[in-house]
Amino acid sequence: MLSSGENTPAPYQQLCEEVIRAEKIVVKFGENVAVDHVDVNVKRGEIYGFLGPNGAGKTTTIRVLTTLLHPTSGDVTVNGFKIPSENKKIRRMIGFVQQMISLDKDISVKENIICHGYLQKVPKKDIQIRMERISAVLGLTPFLNYTVIKLSGGWKRKTAIACALMHDPKILFLDEPTAGLDTQSRHMLWDMIRQLNSAGTTIFLTTHYIEEAENLCDRVAILNKGKRVALGSPKELCDKIGRFAVEYDGDNHVRKYRYFSDWDDAKKFVATFGDSDSVLLRRTTLEDVFLEMTGREVTTDFVKVVRI
Amino acid sequence: MILSFFDETFRVSLQDLYYLKRNILSILVTILVTPLLYYVSFCYGLGSNVNDMEGVSYIAFVIPGVVALSTLTSCFSSIANKVLAQRIYYTSFDEIILCPISPSAVIFGKALVGLIKGMLGCAILLIIGLIMTDGLHISLLLIASIALSCMVYSLLGVLVGFLSNSLTTVIMFTSVIIAPMTFLCGTVFTVSSLPVGLQYAVSALPLTYSTECIRASALGWSFPVLSLVVVAVFGVAFFLICYYMLSRGKI
Repeated sequence: MLSSGENTPAPYQQLCEEVIRAEKIVVKFGENVAVDHVDVNVKRGEIYGFLGPNGAGKTTTIRVLTTLLHPTSGDVTVNGFKIPSENKKIRRMIGFVQQMISLDKDISVKENIICHGYLQKVPKKDIQIRMERISAVLGLTPFLNYTVIKLSGGWKRKTAIACALMHDPKILFLDEPTAGLDTQSRHMLWDMIRQLNSAGTTIFLTTHYIEEAENLCDRVAILNKGKRVALGSPKELCDKIGRFAVEYDGDNHVRKYRYFSDWDDAKKFVATFGDSDSVLLRRTTLEDVFLEMTGREVTTDFVKVVRI
Repeated sequence: MILSFFDETFRVSLQDLYYLKRNILSILVTILVTPLLYYVSFCYGLGSNVNDMEGVSYIAFVIPGVVALSTLTSCFSSIANKVLAQRIYYTSFDEIILCPISPSAVIFGKALVGLIKGMLGCAILLIIGLIMTDGLHISLLLIASIALSCMVYSLLGVLVGFLSNSLTTVIMFTSVIIAPMTFLCGTVFTVSSLPVGLQYAVSALPLTYSTECIRASALGWSFPVLSLVVVAVFGVAFFLICYYMLSRGKI
């Protein structure tokens, strides 16, 4: 309904054409290297997630891919068009919902959506129809005359998404789309992202919520300190460090983790602890992969530090 | 090509026009309070003790000056603050950059609302001025001079909005450049009554020339075409710097 004429779900495996290709992007702010030789290859029709801790370079990368920031070096093409020489063509086919909701807070939801239609050069005769259809699909119709400042975070985010969809983008960039939202709103947005994707829109999203990446993404790239440290489907990434995780108490009550590819090996390791209740054998999750790749920062002397 | 440019300019300004429509009364009050205070204090307070100036009554002399300074204050502050807020605090300026709209249309689209606000404010000030004195002449030249001034100071607002990274910078620019301009550029007294050094300084400021154009056309004096050209040159310079910054991604 949102994407004209492309309602058939497109299985990820069948879609191999790269719509975003970035090679060795470097972004420097003075001496600080925010993005360090990062490659991005997004296939048409997939949901590609950029997962990383705060300050990893996710937003900087997404700003490069959306033509908002010139990289210090590296080549980027979006749907075959080069950045920066063909930025105008790229901008016609992408939608971008920023981490900080970038709506005009002093005008209504309806006016914001209409303005985006005008800015994206949607034909004037289609703007009203598209606005009504998109609002209906996103459940925004009752709020159309509300000024944005009166909306809750979830509805503001939905309004921002409605704006980004006005020109029916082929690729939708979402920067931390569920940051700060409650559980209901988060699930509501996930469903919407899946629906958009099944209607043919390629989705590129950044997040630091593991659950979000695990639930939504066909492939996930993990970014840490400006570098891409892992890439693959959530399952592939889990398999890479070992499908089974054993967690147990180490010194000073700090949890330790070991990963095993083989179930029997994992069970043998668990047996070495005897009847200890603190040992847990479970499947490896994306969170394990994330923490292995980005490092577990632990203050072993926490109590000592707090109780001086 | 020209039609397409005007169309794009309108598309950019629509968001601000919606805001203007919703808040027209409060915006007009904000624009008019200061110039109306000038009217009262200069025309009635100070004006009653001042003899004729440049061959006309002080009231007739000062009203075009207040209109000129109003083109600066009403256009500059609102545009500079709005552009800064959209760039830094709401990040909604990125949405505009991401659209297939030419940089020229983005710049003029942002300035257009300043032009409308300024023209509305000046129209009310002129109507009040006509009630206060019979020495004013409304002409096409006067309207053109006011429109050009409003556009130039709106472009200055866009430029300062682009250059600033915090509200403090805009406030500092307003205190250091805009406030002295409003008083020293021949708005409420002649530039020739300033010390020579200051006369040179104010001759580098656009409001001096705007005031000359607006006053000459309002009082039916011979029109200073060169001053109009100087105002236009300032406008072109502001636009070109904005264009450079926007097209090179330096904002």
